[in-house]
Amino acid sequence: MLKILALLLPGLIPSWKFFKSIEPSPRVQWRLISATNRNEDTWREFRPRPQQVSALETLRRLFWNPDWNESLYLVSLAERLTQKPTDHSHVEISQRIARRVSTDSIGFSHIQFRLVFVRREKGELVEDITFLSEPYRLDGAAS
Amino acid sequence: MSFDTALRATEILIALAFIQQSAEHLKMPGDGRALFGLRILACLVLLSGLASFGALMALAAMSLLLLHRFQGPYNGGSDRMGILILWCLLFVHIAPSPFWQAAAFGYLAVQLSLSYFVSGWVKLLNPEWRSGRALQDVFQFSTYPVSENLRRLYQRPELCWAMSWAVILFELLLPIALAHPSLLIIALTIAALFHLANACLFGLNRFIWIWLAAYPSLLWFQSLLFAAHN
Repeated sequence: MLKILALLLPGLIPSWKFFKSIEPSPRVQWRLISATNRNEDTWREFRPRPQQVSALETLRRLFWNPDWNESLYLVSLAERLTQKPTDHSHVEISQRIARRVSTDSIGFSHIQFRLVFVRREKGELVEDITFLSEPYRLDGAAS
Repeated sequence: MSFDTALRATEILIALAFIQQSAEHLKMPGDGRALFGLRILACLVLLSGLASFGALMALAAMSLLLLHRFQGPYNGGSDRMGILILWCLLFVHIAPSPFWQAAAFGYLAVQLSLSYFVSGWVKLLNPEWRSGRALQDVFQFSTYPVSENLRRLYQRPELCWAMSWAVILFELLLPIALAHPSLLIIALTIAALFHLANACLFGLNRFIWIWLAAYPSLLWFQSLLFAAHN
């Protein structure tokens, strides 16, 4: 009960410090792995953004944007998993990736994800890998 | 705007905003489709106006279940504003007197003003925002730009500087619009366009609908201030 109250309070007494500073930005990346010979696929970004979005699509997304909002949720989970790891964040990211990539998985049985944080340092973009999951089965079960 | 009109407008707008959010979750298999289905039903009851208190109680209980399900907000600031509006509406319904009803609804109006002012203030204090560098970073490497083409905007520092100052000044000055009814209408129109731009550039579509739902409270709050002054 106390935990629920702790989650509710920031809603009732919000801080409203939107974009106070631009923090390192997470990317969720995944790859497929074969169980038999441990062949590894290349790392791919989870749901990469398109090159451009048409005006009509932009209009549609004002009312219907579930994929993008799920991607934003994954960003929150990635930040939580890096700052204060919990099973919840780990399981949520694992399962959401597994659901999305199952169609690309012919010949592979396992999946692995990692979190890469992008930041600017002395004018250059720098990437830090902050988390690497254990390989897990594509059906979402632990390997 | 009268208290009753503003309250009813808020109930209708938040019900529509929650239906939009819940419909998006129905597409996601692991999100708890049954719960979001029930949430849509509660919103329809709230829209009908037949049992607003019961619908708000149900929606408040569901907001706790959703916080537990996602271990926090699913969609950051927009979920937090949704919780704030919902619980303020509920407090209005359970408040023992008109004074406490006004206090609960006034709290929402004050928080809405703060949502802009505090956001502008923290940007003003940050030299990277004042120079436009922070907005360049948003476009260059944050997760928000909806397309790769949009990322190129970081290469236009003058534009980013102008946009940064436009946002900072608008956010800081919005509460001043309470000084005149026409000014507040203009300010809230600009605010809605600001959220529309955020939705188009950064995909933050839920923010438009949820922030719109809080606007009637500020329109009523202004009427209250003018009535008290006169």
